[in-house]
Amino acid sequence: MRPPFVARALIAAATPPLDYASVAGDLCEEYNARVESAGRPSADRWYWAQVARSIPALLSYSRAHRSFAAKSSRIAIVLIVLFAMLFCKDMIDRVIDLVDPRGPGLPAWLYFAIDWTDAALFGGILAAIVRSAGMRLALVASVALVAAFALPVILGISPPLQTLAWFLLLGAVPAMAVGAAVYQVLRRRESGSI
Amino acid sequence: MAKGEYLGEFEHIVLVSVLRLGDGAHGALIRREIETVTGRSPAIGAVHATLERLERKGFVTSWIGEPTAERGGKAKRHFKIEATGASALKQTRTTLERLHAGLALRSRPT
Repeated sequence: MRPPFVARALIAAATPPLDYASVAGDLCEEYNARVESAGRPSADRWYWAQVARSIPALLSYSRAHRSFAAKSSRIAIVLIVLFAMLFCKDMIDRVIDLVDPRGPGLPAWLYFAIDWTDAALFGGILAAIVRSAGMRLALVASVALVAAFALPVILGISPPLQTLAWFLLLGAVPAMAVGAAVYQVLRRRESGSI
Repeated sequence: MAKGEYLGEFEHIVLVSVLRLGDGAHGALIRREIETVTGRSPAIGAVHATLERLERKGFVTSWIGEPTAERGGKAKRHFKIEATGASALKQTRTTLERLHAGLALRSRPT
């Protein structure tokens, strides 16, 4: 008997790669024992509760221990991906200016869709480059990005942002995480481990 | 004990469980042991994160076993306590006993 697919996909997205087999296997082992003793609905509920409570802890560590040089190269990769993401957004904004030269004539949802797709795409790219901690690094990168834009505003160095701009900015965090998660799930599905 | 080698509450519980289960304990077994003995139901993620931290401190070592069908074809990660882990447990116990010595525990402070 296999646990619910979405819950398994969440575990696949959040677990450090070197621990994925043991964490997913431990959950599967207990899930099957509960299906036998208490029935499938109860086992499903237990599995979902375990997944929800496990994700913060699973995102907090990576089994791969790296040297200072490897850690520095990761920081460089994060910065390069963030700059590429911002460059891509700038290019899109220029295209929008060409299409809509007089100002925001396009619907707001289109701006959200474009910006968050950009963030999700680069979250996925980051996860593909740094496979051992893709999801964790995508979260760190997006929080760093939000902080880089929000701090000058909060400190009064930059002009205040409109509410929509705050939504666009804060949405980058879950968007990058979703992009990284989708990449990890697709990779593990391809290898048949989900 | 040097700073960074002290055991947190959950680390202590996990390490004692590994000791109780003997060599070859794995995540699901450790989680169930904690649930049975303490009545507290930890998340499997918290157990694995704690085991990884204990391994980094050198208190336990781990190795990968064979995949089995009841685990969806996934391998177990087995854990065993090391001499430094046993020593840390002993030290924590001694410290707690010293702190408790001569105290009368009441359910409510007066």
